[in-house]
Amino acid sequence: MELRVTESSENELSIEIAGEDHTFMNVLKGTLLEHDDVSAATYDVNPEQSGGQTEPILTIKTEGGVDPLNALEEAAVDVGEKAVAFRNAFEAAA
Amino acid sequence: MTEEYDVEFVEREDREARFLVRGVTPAFANGIRRAMIADVPTMAIDTVRFVENSSVMFDEQLALRLGLVPLTTPPVGEFVEDDTVTLSIDVEGPATAYSGNLVSSDSLVQPADENVPIIDLKDGQRLEAEAEVVLDRGKNHAKHQGGVAVGYRHLQRVEVVGDVPEFEEPDERIVRGVIEDDGELVPTSEFDHDLTNRYPDQEVAIEDVPNAFVFHVETDGSFTVEELVTRAAETIEARATELEEAVQL
Repeated sequence: MELRVTESSENELSIEIAGEDHTFMNVLKGTLLEHDDVSAATYDVNPEQSGGQTEPILTIKTEGGVDPLNALEEAAVDVGEKAVAFRNAFEAAA
Repeated sequence: MTEEYDVEFVEREDREARFLVRGVTPAFANGIRRAMIADVPTMAIDTVRFVENSSVMFDEQLALRLGLVPLTTPPVGEFVEDDTVTLSIDVEGPATAYSGNLVSSDSLVQPADENVPIIDLKDGQRLEAEAEVVLDRGKNHAKHQGGVAVGYRHLQRVEVVGDVPEFEEPDERIVRGVIEDDGELVPTSEFDHDLTNRYPDQEVAIEDVPNAFVFHVETDGSFTVEELVTRAAETIEARATELEEAVQL
């Protein structure tokens, strides 16, 4: 997973996340939007045949002086916790 | 953040199951579904060396057919991408070569089904070949897809709201999936997917239960449903950890 920041300011960040697709990006975006200090989060990905930019680009906007990169890190932790919680709940039922 | 998930099985067999997950967001449900289809690695034949092929099909056609044979996938950690296992086949006509004729060099990697036909051989025709098996993901080739027919639907809550007027012509009310009736989970197949069979002469209201999804999962025999779901959750977990580490740098 290679990251490349394409745009960055105090409360806004655009970052390319190489090698990922909707599977992970949509979960990540959904989790970012649950964050209190994230005012907007979206990702954009083009089909392989389109030429040009095909890696997903994640854009995050925050409020209250929160660093978008920190929000991203917290969201990554949350996604991991969700996956573990889901696996535990599934194994408990199985 | 603590997530409250609740999983409950509705139907369950080795290769096919239906289970309800509560407390899951649509994004996460879809992530799990997509991970089951494209991101859980399975074993499949990738390269074939033909010793003799006097059948009516070209080597390439047979290689594709061999590749699509589902093979059992060993537990996590036994194999990594780039490890190979060799399978060999030697059948002489008149006979049909089946997946069951494949002889494996590793007991952990076997054809999941014995009865997949590969080619019908006539008198004097022969197929002898060696095949290399690799571990890969469904994203790269459909033969590595462990989950076939993986999907989910909202759990639907059915409530009786009154009686149908006495002389009204009853219409059928078709629903598919699993319904919740007073906390009881009922697959719609039990009443032929028609609510008027279960609630004759009664008016019912149906609504989707928020954040409750009924998954239907079927595997190709590479592993059990439980394995598939756990491994799918693990791939998402692995990517989250990777992102976390990449961000910290």
